[in-house]
Amino acid sequence: MYKALVIGGSAGSFQVITRILNSLPKNFPLPVLLSLHRLKHVRSGFVEALSIKSGIEVIEPFDKDSIKPGKAYLAPSNYHMYVELNKKIALSTEEPVNHSRPSIDLTFETAAQAYRDKLIGIILSGANRDGAYGLKKLKQLGGLAIVQDPNECQVKTMTEASLKLTTVDHIFTTQQIINFLQGLK
Amino acid sequence: MEIANRYELGIVDIRNIIKMLDDVYGVDFKNHALTFFKRRVESFIKYHSFKDADGFIQKIEKDKDFFETFLKDICVETTEMFRDPSIWRLLKEETLPKNILTSPNFKIWLPEVTSGEELYSLAIILKKLKLLDNVQIIGSSISEHHLDRIRSGIFDPKKIETNDANYSRIFSEGQLSDYYTLKDDKAYWDVSLIESIKLTKQNIIFDDYPKGTKLILFRNQMIYYNQILQERFMKIMYNSLVPGGHLLIGNNERIEYWNSEKDYVLVSDSESIYKKRLS
Repeated sequence: MYKALVIGGSAGSFQVITRILNSLPKNFPLPVLLSLHRLKHVRSGFVEALSIKSGIEVIEPFDKDSIKPGKAYLAPSNYHMYVELNKKIALSTEEPVNHSRPSIDLTFETAAQAYRDKLIGIILSGANRDGAYGLKKLKQLGGLAIVQDPNECQVKTMTEASLKLTTVDHIFTTQQIINFLQGLK
Repeated sequence: MEIANRYELGIVDIRNIIKMLDDVYGVDFKNHALTFFKRRVESFIKYHSFKDADGFIQKIEKDKDFFETFLKDICVETTEMFRDPSIWRLLKEETLPKNILTSPNFKIWLPEVTSGEELYSLAIILKKLKLLDNVQIIGSSISEHHLDRIRSGIFDPKKIETNDANYSRIFSEGQLSDYYTLKDDKAYWDVSLIESIKLTKQNIIFDDYPKGTKLILFRNQMIYYNQILQERFMKIMYNSLVPGGHLLIGNNERIEYWNSEKDYVLVSDSESIYKKRLS
């Protein structure tokens, strides 16, 4: 019944993301949108590192690429990544939000507008407040809001900011997130 | 920019705004990417504290200066100097010297210069290569305010740290501050860099454009267009370039429906550099 999964992470999220991607089955039924804070002058390496053991293909999309199930779309360095209402990727070099480009808030907000109640959003470890507003928007539009258990996060600022702003559906450890995603049909 | 409690426009509002801008000022935004245009107008409306779309429309249709401010804010500023340093390294070490030295009347066009960082980056590299006098550069923009700002040399001092770091990823000698000065919390480029550059106001649909160009830099602007305007623009740039001329677009731009193999040779996949075929 869900149509897309969006994940936001910053400091301390790399290992969590890797574990999640590695655990996904090849035929994972949803597209995965990854909005992760990263070095903006380093374009190569990140998508390769995430791809090594990932169960599904991880790509850095081109502007206006169609979003397809069973693929992970990583926001390219120094671009915001939006979801258009017609389920295509839109990239942007507009000003940073929360000092971040890509901004997790913007990916979540636009994904929520496109997928409404068919969207799952997960906020992971991170050192700033980016993502909190986006998750709130996702919840308001009927999506399922999940936050990584702050006790497990290397840096808990981002998850705590999200929990302060939104009554979420689940607070999950990495393993619980994996179990949940593997159970999706 | 904080986006909490952002003002949201309906689709009817957007249509009304696009129609008004076309009727009153002859500026046609209908082929800009819709969500992009919506978001830009929303943040403009919020920044200027309008109650709603009607308030905004009533103000802008009577106030030409305000309209010019709007045009400036709709254009997305270039993020920084030497964005994607590897591209500028390639331009400096190969593309520019190799092509300029073998070709007289080397004309370069930047179709939308917005806040000017690509223009000044290019000028600095050419200056260091001692090739600035060998080229003719045309920078155009839909916004007169942006052109004025570029002429004045003023830029955002908040970007200095990023700019300086990018410079040192390209040049091992000298520093970017050789080309700017700080005065009263403001930062200014050395405007002698652009004294021979032609800056022109461009109509939004580019019905008039430079011909016989040998290099076009148009990075990360077509991402704000819809397919119709992208195709139109690809055609304009193809017609503007001489055979053998080079086109640079953004790293993550790809014009899928455009038959690039027929028209261009891909010179660098990683840096999105194309060369127009000779025949």
